[in-house]
Amino acid sequence: MNEVEELRPVGETTQFIVIKLGEEQYGIDIKYIDNIVRMQHITRVPKVDDYLKGVINLRGEVIPVMSIRIKMGLERDVETKSSRIIILKLEQQGTIGVIVDEVKEVVTLENERIEKVAYDSKDEKANFLSGVGKSDGGLISLLDLNAVVLESV
Amino acid sequence: MDVSQYLEIFLDETNEHLQNLNTQILSLEQDPENMDTINEIFRAAHSLKGMAGTMGYKRMQTLTHDMENVFSEVRNGTIKVKADMIDVLFQCLDALEEYNTNIRESSDEGTNDNNALIKRLNDIMTGGFGSGSNAPAAESAPAQKAETSSLQGGFAGIRFNESQRNVLSEAIKMGKNVYGLTVKVQESCILKAARAFLVFKAVEDTSEIIVSEPSSQDIEDEKFELQFSLVIVSEAELNEVLAAAKAVSEIEDVTGGVLKLEDVTGGEAPAETPQEPVVEVPVQEPAAPAEAPVAAVPAEAAKTAAPVAAAAPAAKKPGTNKPVVNRTVRVDIEKLDTLMNLVSELIIAKNSLVSASAMSGNSSQAVNEQIEYLESVTTSLHESVMKVRMVPIESTVNKFPRMVRDLQKKLGKKMELYMSGEETELDRTVVDQIGDPLMHLLRNSADHGLESAAVRKERGKPEVGSIFLDAYQDGNNVVIEVRDDGNGIDVKSVKNKAIEKGIITPEQGEAMSEKEIINLLFNAGFSTAKVVSDVSGRGVGLDVVKSMIESLSGEVEVKSKLGEGSTWTIRLPLTLAIIQALMVEIGDEKYAIALGSIQTIEDILPSDVKLVQAKEVIQLRDLVIPLIRLNEILDIPSKKQPGDNLVVVVVKKGDKLAGLVVDELIGQQEIVIKSLGKYISKCKIISGATVLGDGEVALILDANALI
Repeated sequence: MNEVEELRPVGETTQFIVIKLGEEQYGIDIKYIDNIVRMQHITRVPKVDDYLKGVINLRGEVIPVMSIRIKMGLERDVETKSSRIIILKLEQQGTIGVIVDEVKEVVTLENERIEKVAYDSKDEKANFLSGVGKSDGGLISLLDLNAVVLESV
Repeated sequence: MDVSQYLEIFLDETNEHLQNLNTQILSLEQDPENMDTINEIFRAAHSLKGMAGTMGYKRMQTLTHDMENVFSEVRNGTIKVKADMIDVLFQCLDALEEYNTNIRESSDEGTNDNNALIKRLNDIMTGGFGSGSNAPAAESAPAQKAETSSLQGGFAGIRFNESQRNVLSEAIKMGKNVYGLTVKVQESCILKAARAFLVFKAVEDTSEIIVSEPSSQDIEDEKFELQFSLVIVSEAELNEVLAAAKAVSEIEDVTGGVLKLEDVTGGEAPAETPQEPVVEVPVQEPAAPAEAPVAAVPAEAAKTAAPVAAAAPAAKKPGTNKPVVNRTVRVDIEKLDTLMNLVSELIIAKNSLVSASAMSGNSSQAVNEQIEYLESVTTSLHESVMKVRMVPIESTVNKFPRMVRDLQKKLGKKMELYMSGEETELDRTVVDQIGDPLMHLLRNSADHGLESAAVRKERGKPEVGSIFLDAYQDGNNVVIEVRDDGNGIDVKSVKNKAIEKGIITPEQGEAMSEKEIINLLFNAGFSTAKVVSDVSGRGVGLDVVKSMIESLSGEVEVKSKLGEGSTWTIRLPLTLAIIQALMVEIGDEKYAIALGSIQTIEDILPSDVKLVQAKEVIQLRDLVIPLIRLNEILDIPSKKQPGDNLVVVVVKKGDKLAGLVVDELIGQQEIVIKSLGKYISKCKIISGATVLGDGEVALILDANALI
C-alpha cells in the first residue's frame, strides 16, 4: 500500500482544481482552496525570500502571495490575462496566495487512479508532488501543498 | 440547580475579592487596629464563602469559613492581629488562589483540603478565644432584634387581589395553614436571584406559593432589594417551613407568621405599609446601603479607590450594590475585537471614499461635507471603541505590593513599594501582558538593585529601601517607570561580565559608552548576580522583558547612577490597532511611518550631508544625526537625482535619533495596522501592513528596527 492510498480511501473520489504552470498541468486538492482571484497589484515586501512576491489586499485582509514557479525552480512568472492567484487556507501557515499561469477546470479523480511518485533527489520538482493523477485530459501532477508552502530555511 | 452559567461571574468576582483581600491584609499589617480594614476583610471573606458555597465548592467554602471566623474574632477584639497570623492569612489566600485556578481550568476545585492551614486558623482562634466568647453573641442579639422588627412589615404589607383572596380564604376554610414569610437575603449575596430561587424550591417542597412580593418574575430578574415576602398555603408546621428556607445559604433571616381569615379578607389595603426598598442598615455590615445609588454610579472609580482603605467603605463593593447590575455589562473580549475589526473596516472604507472623491475631481460641496461628517463620526466611533477596550493597569499592578512583601521576607532586605498612577488606562491586551515584564523589573530592583539594610546604613541611606512604580500617560504613550534607590548599575562590572561571557571583546568594551554597556544587560544570557538566587538571576529576565515589551510595540530604557539607584522606563503605545501615520513614497512604493516616532521633517541640501566614519550624517541644531537611505535598505531605485534636496524624516527611538531619507511625502493618514502574518516574519524592518484607500497594501516601517 502506498502512502497516497492510505490517505485517500479506496473507492472514494477527490476533487482537484487543475492549474497550468507553463505546459504542465498540476492539481490542487480543492479542500485547501479558499478562493481564486485575478492578478492584482502585489505589494513587494523587502528583505524576504525571492519566491515571496509580497502581499495583497483580499477584502480587507492582508495576505502573503508566493510564486510556485520560483519555489519549484521554474522560470519566473509572466503575468498574462489568464494569470490567477489561488488563495489557499492551510492549517499551519494560515491563508496564503499562490500565483498560477491559468486555472483550467475541476476534475474528480477516483483514488485508485492516483499514483504515488517515486522520490527522485535529482528532480527538484518531484519533491513538491504528492502523486500523479490520470484523467481524461492527460496526466495531472498533484501538488503537495505543505511542501510547496514550506518556508525554505 | 445548574450553576455553570454563573461560573464565569463566580471566577471574576472571586478574583476581585481575592485581590481585595490581598490589598486589605497588606494594609492591615501596617495598621493592625484599623477597624475599616478589618470590616472590609471580613466582608470579602464572607462573600467568598457564600459564593463558594453557592457553586458547591466545599473545600473553598470551609477554608473561607474558618478565615471568616478568625476575622470575626479580630473584629470583636478578642484576637489581636499578629505577624504570624498575617502570614497564615496570606497562605490561605494562596490556597484560595489555587482553588480558583483549578476551577478556571477544570471547573473543579481540586482535592487539596488544606487541613494544615485550617488547623492553624483554628489555633489562632482558640489562642484568643476564652475571654471574649460572650461578645459575639451579645452583639448579634440586638442586631437580630432590630432586623426582626423591621421585617415584620414584609409579608403583612402584601395586598391580595380578588382571586388570591379567594384561594387563601378557601384554604383557611379547608383547615390548611396559611403563612406569611419574609425572607431577607444577606447584603453581601451576589446571586440574589439564585438564592431566592433556592428558597422558592425549599418552600415548594412542603407548600404552595400563592403570592410573592415582588412578583416571581421580578425576583428572577433580581429586581428586588434585600428582602422578599411570600404567602404560602402549607400543611407543614410554620417552623418546618422557616427552617427549610433558612437552610439556604446566604439567607440572613426568615420570619413568618400565621395568617388568619381576617388577615386575608380584611387586610384589603393596609394603608401605610409601603413595599418600598427597605433602607435597613444591619448592624453587622456597616456598608451603608442607603448610599448605594450614589456609590454605584462611579463603580469604576470605586474600584480604583478600593486600595485606599479608609475612604467611602460604602463604595467598595461593586457588584453588590444593585444598580451596578443595570449599568455595566461584562463583554467577551473577542466580541470587542470583532467590533474593533469592523471599525477598522469602516475606516478603510471611509479612506476609500475620500480618495475616490478626490480622484473624480468634480466632487460637489455636498459630497465633501458628508465625507467630512463621516470622517468625524468614524473618528469618534473609533475612539469610543478604543475606550471600551481600555482598562486601568490597576488590575495588573495590584498584586505587586504582596509580591514585594514576600520578596522582603525571602531576601531578608527591608523594602517598601510605592505605586502611583494605577488608574492609568491601557488597551486590555496590553494590560494583560505587561504584568510579567513589570514583575521581572521589580524583582530585579529588589534583588540586584537594593542593598541590604546594613550596607544601606553604612552609606547613609534609610535602612528601608524604596521601589517606586509610577505610571502616567504621555501623549499617545503610556509610560511606566520602575525606580529604586539602591546601588544602581555598576557599569564596570557589567563590562567585565560581558567580556567574560564573550558578548563583547575587550576592545569593543573600551569603545562603548556607558549607555551602550548598560544596554548589554538586555542581552540574552546575561546576569551579574554572583549567586543564582530563587528570585532572579537566571539570566533570562531582562532580555525577556525587552522582547515582551517590544512585542507590544513598546520600548524599555534604563538610566542608572552608581550608588543612587536605577530607573527603568517602559513606554507603550496607547493603542495597537489604529494609528496616525505619515505616508511616504520611495521609488514607486508607498510606506507608512508611525507618527508617534517622528520628531521632525527636514529638507536637506546634498552639500549638508557629511561623512563621519564613512557613514552619512547631518547636523541639526547641534545634534549629529545619522542618515539612513531607505531606498538602499529597501532595495528600490530612488526617483531622485543625486543633486536634488533630500527629504529627511527624523525619527526617534528612546533618545537616539536617525534621519530616514525618502523620495516624497504623501501626507498624514489614519491607518489600520494589519499583521503580515507569520508567513512573512523574516522582514524585521516592517512592522505590519495597512490597506490604503485605493485598496492597495502599504507596508509600515518600524523605525525602532531601523535605528
